[in-house]
Amino acid sequence: MAKDDLLPGTLDMLILKVLDRGAMHGFGIAERIRERSENVLSVGEGSLYPALYRLERQRWITAEWGQSENNRRARYYALTRAGRKQLAVETDGWERMSLAIRQVMRST
Amino acid sequence: MSPWRALGNRLRALLQKARLDADMDEEMRTHIEMRAQRNLDAGMDPEEARYAARRQFGPIESIQDACRGERGVGWIEDFLHDVRHGARRLGKDRGFTAVSVLTLALGIGAVVAIFAAADDLLFRPLPYRAPDRLFRLWERDPTRPETARSEVSADDFMAWKAGGSSFEGMAAYYEGRAVLHDGERADELHVQGVTPGFFPMLGIGAFHGRTFAPDDGPAPGTSAPVIISFRLWRSWFGGDPDAVGRAVRLDSATATIIGVTPPGFRFGDRDVDLWLPLHLRPSKSRDLNAVGRLKRGVGRAEAEAQLSLMVQPWMATVEPLRDSFTRSVKGSLLVLLGAVGLLLGAACANAASLLLARNRARRSEMAMRLALGASRGRLVRQLLTESLLLAMCAGALGVALGRYALYALVALAPRALTRSADVAIDGRVVLFAVAVSAATALLFGAVPAAVSARADVAPELARNSRGGGPRAGSLRAWLIAGEVAVSLILLTGGSLLFRSLVKLQEVDSGLMPRHLLAFHFRVPSPDKVNLFDLSRERIAVLPGVRAASATSFLPFDGPPAAARVEIEGRPAPAPGEEPVAAVRTVMPRYFGTIGIPIRQGRDFTAADNGADAPMRFVVNEAFVRKYLPGQEPLGRRIRTSMARTNPLGEIIGVVGDVKEGSMRQEPVPTVYYVYAHMSYGQMTLVVRTEGDPMAILALVRRVVHDLDPGLPVADARAMDAILGETYARERFSALLMAGFSILSLLVAAVGVYGVLACSVQERTREIGVRVAVGADGRRIVELVLGDTLRLVLPGLLAGLGGALSLSRLLSSLLFKTGAWDPASFAIAAGTLLVVALVAAASPAGRAARLDPTAALRLE
Repeated sequence: MAKDDLLPGTLDMLILKVLDRGAMHGFGIAERIRERSENVLSVGEGSLYPALYRLERQRWITAEWGQSENNRRARYYALTRAGRKQLAVETDGWERMSLAIRQVMRST
Repeated sequence: MSPWRALGNRLRALLQKARLDADMDEEMRTHIEMRAQRNLDAGMDPEEARYAARRQFGPIESIQDACRGERGVGWIEDFLHDVRHGARRLGKDRGFTAVSVLTLALGIGAVVAIFAAADDLLFRPLPYRAPDRLFRLWERDPTRPETARSEVSADDFMAWKAGGSSFEGMAAYYEGRAVLHDGERADELHVQGVTPGFFPMLGIGAFHGRTFAPDDGPAPGTSAPVIISFRLWRSWFGGDPDAVGRAVRLDSATATIIGVTPPGFRFGDRDVDLWLPLHLRPSKSRDLNAVGRLKRGVGRAEAEAQLSLMVQPWMATVEPLRDSFTRSVKGSLLVLLGAVGLLLGAACANAASLLLARNRARRSEMAMRLALGASRGRLVRQLLTESLLLAMCAGALGVALGRYALYALVALAPRALTRSADVAIDGRVVLFAVAVSAATALLFGAVPAAVSARADVAPELARNSRGGGPRAGSLRAWLIAGEVAVSLILLTGGSLLFRSLVKLQEVDSGLMPRHLLAFHFRVPSPDKVNLFDLSRERIAVLPGVRAASATSFLPFDGPPAAARVEIEGRPAPAPGEEPVAAVRTVMPRYFGTIGIPIRQGRDFTAADNGADAPMRFVVNEAFVRKYLPGQEPLGRRIRTSMARTNPLGEIIGVVGDVKEGSMRQEPVPTVYYVYAHMSYGQMTLVVRTEGDPMAILALVRRVVHDLDPGLPVADARAMDAILGETYARERFSALLMAGFSILSLLVAAVGVYGVLACSVQERTREIGVRVAVGADGRRIVELVLGDTLRLVLPGLLAGLGGALSLSRLLSSLLFKTGAWDPASFAIAAGTLLVVALVAAASPAGRAARLDPTAALRLE
C-alpha cells in the first residue's frame, strides 16, 4: 500500500471524501484520487481495494452491484451515516493537524 | 466492534466465502478492463493496453489476500483453502503420500503403543487423594546392602505410627491368597489385609456399603468383615446391591461382605479382589508392607530421619509410592520410550527428506506464486498445512496400528507390568497421538517449507524444474545420515538385548521344565492336610501322568522361606554369622518329578513322610559347598530355626542346585523338609506329564474337586511358562527393541533409496556424458555405490557414538553381555550397510542401464 508516501489513514480519508460526492465504483474512486494526488496510488490501483474492504467492514461504506456509465456491472460504494460522521471526524482531525504543522513550519 | 459481531462477520464471511470471492474477482477484473479501455482510448494498441492495465493494478494475488484479510476471514479461510489444496495435491502424488504416511504411521504407532503401556505406570497421577504425599516405608540394615528394602515388623510399624509426627496417616498391609466360598462356588482370590486406616488414607470411599472401621475385628466368634472389588462384585455377585451384608466363607472362617471398592480401584497388584481387616499383634518379623501419607510441607529426608531414629540400629527408607510400584519395569519402559522416540525421529527425517525432494519438483509453482504476490509466510503456511495433513493421516493410521501393537505388547509384557498397570488406548492416549502428530508435522515440515519458500523468483522461472539444488541436496544427505544413525543405535540396542536374552535362555535352571504342570490349592483347615497326599496319589495314577509330587514353594515363583541352620558338632557361630538357608517342604518323589538330579544319597520316600518317622533332611549342593566343604554330608545332623521345636535330623540326600528366583540369580543353600515334618495349608503340586501339561488340567481339576468341592485349583501353569515369566522383562525389551530396529531399518532403507533414486535422476545428463565418453556399467554402479557409502558412513559413525551411550543405559537390562559387546556393534553396522546397499541396488542398476543418447537428449 502507499503508506510510504501518506500519513497513516490518509487513503481511508481520501476514499471517504471521494464518496462524499456520491456512490462510485472502485475504478472511479481510483480515477478521482489520481486526479487529485499524483502519488497516492502509484504503487498500484489495486491497493485501493483492501482499504475499501476495511471501510466496508467498519460499516462506514456499503457496496452494491450496479450498472456503470458504459453498461458494465460494477460494484458501487456509498457512504453510510456512520461513514459521513467518520469523515467529519477525520477531516476535523486532519485540519487541526495540518494547521498545527503549518504553524510550526511558519514559526521556524 | 463488539467481539460477537466480529465473530458473526467472520462466520458469515466464511459461509459466503465462495460468493464473496467471486464478487471480488469480478470487481477487480472489471476494474482492469475499465483501465484497459481507458488505455485503448488513449491510443495504445490492445495488447499493450491490457498489459499496462494489469501493471497499473498491481500484484493481484497479494491484493486479494489482503482483501480477504480485511474482509475478516483471514487464517481460517486460508487454512481451509490450504487443506483442500493440500488434500488434492497429496491425492495426486499417491506414491509420495503412501510412503510418507506409512513410515510416519509406523513411528507414531510405535510411540502410541509404548506410551499407552507406560502412561499408567509412569505419567498418570496415581488415583488416590494427593498421591504425591504417599510413600512406601521400608526398613534397612545399613551394614547389609541386600536389605535395602525390607518389609517392616509390626513392632516397628506401631512405633512409627505412634511417634511418626511427620506423617498424617500410616497403614500396613500384607498380600496373600484366600479361598472365597459362598456355598456354591469356591475360588482362590488375591487378597490384601489392610489396617483400618488404609482406605481413608488413600482417600478412597466405598462404592457400595462402607470401608473398614477401626473396631472391625476378627473378634472370636464373630464374622470378619471383608470388602470386595467392583470387578468381583460384578462377576461373582452380578452387581447385586444386596451382596453387601451377605455372609460368605473365607478359607475356614465366616465373613460378611461390608463394601465394594470403586471401579478400577487397586493398590499395586491389579489382581486383588478382596480386602480383609488387619489387626497388628506385636511381632519382630519383618513381614508387613507399610505406606504413609506425609504431612503437607514435610520433606522426605526429614521423615526418613525421624523414622530411622525409632528402629535403630536399622534405618528407614521412605520411597515415593509410584516408584515402589514401577521399580521393576521403569527402566525397560524408559528405554523403550526413548527407542520409539528415536524411531519417530527417523520417520520424521525420512518424511522431511521426501518432502524436500517433492518440493524441489514444485519450485516453479512456488516461484510463480511468489511472482504473483503471494507472501513467503503464506507459502510456508500452505506447505506446513500439507505436512499437517500428512501427519494427521499418519496419526490416525498410527493409532489404529498402535491398537494392534498394544495387543501384542500386552501379551508379551512381563506380569510386573500388566499386573500393576491398566494398559489401554483411551482418550488421553488419542489426545497424545494427536499432539505427537502435530509436533511431527512441524518437525518434518518446517525445514522443507522454509527451504522451498526461499526459492528465488527469477532464476526459477527462467529455467524449468530440472537441475541441482545443492542446498536442499546436502540437507537431505544430513537427514539420511540422521536416519542411519538412529537405525544403528536401535539395531545395536536390539542385538545387545537379544544376545543377552539368548544367554539368559541358555542358562540351566537346574530342573526340567518341559512337560511339567504346576498348580496349587489350599486346604481350608489344618486337619485336612491329608488332602494333599490323597490328591497327589490320585493324580499320579492318571493316564498321561508320569509322576506327581508337591512343594511348599515352587522354584521361580516367589521367594521361599528362609531360616538359620545349625550343624551338629559346630561351635556356635558369632551372632549375625549363622548359616542361613532357604527352606522348602516337599512330598516324596519331588526331586524325581520336577527333574532335580540326586547327587548323593536318596530322595524322600513314603516311609519318611510320617509324623512319627525320624527327622531327615535333603540339602542341595550349594549347601554342601558353603557349609560342609570337603566333608561327607550324608549322615551329618542339622537343624533349622523354622519351627518352635527343631529336633536334629540326618542329611539323607544331596540334590542338584536350582537357580533361586530367576535365571540371573545364583542358587542359594537350601534345606528340604519332608511334608509330614513341616506342613503348610497350601502346597504347589507338580505333575510330570507325557505330553502337553495343560492337556491334563481338566482331569486334575476333577480329581481335586472329587476330593472336596471347596478346593479350587489355582494358578495352573506349565513350568515352561513360569520360567519364561522370570525373563519376561528381558524378552519384552529384546523383542520390542528388535521390532523397532527393524522398523527403523525399513525407514532408513526408504530414505537411502529415495535420495539415491532422486540423485540418479538428477544426474541423468552427467551419467549420460560419462557413458558416452566410455565409462562402462560397472564404473557407473561404483559411482552410485560410492554415493551410498558417502551417504551412510557419516551416519554410521554418529550412530556408533549414540549406540555406545545407549548401551550403557541398557547395562542394567543385560545379562552376561557387556555394554561394549563388539559382536552386537558389528552385527548392527553390518546389517545396516547391507540394507543400504540393497536399497541402492535399484537406482544403481537404473544408472548403469542408462541409454546415453536418450539421456543427453533430455533437457
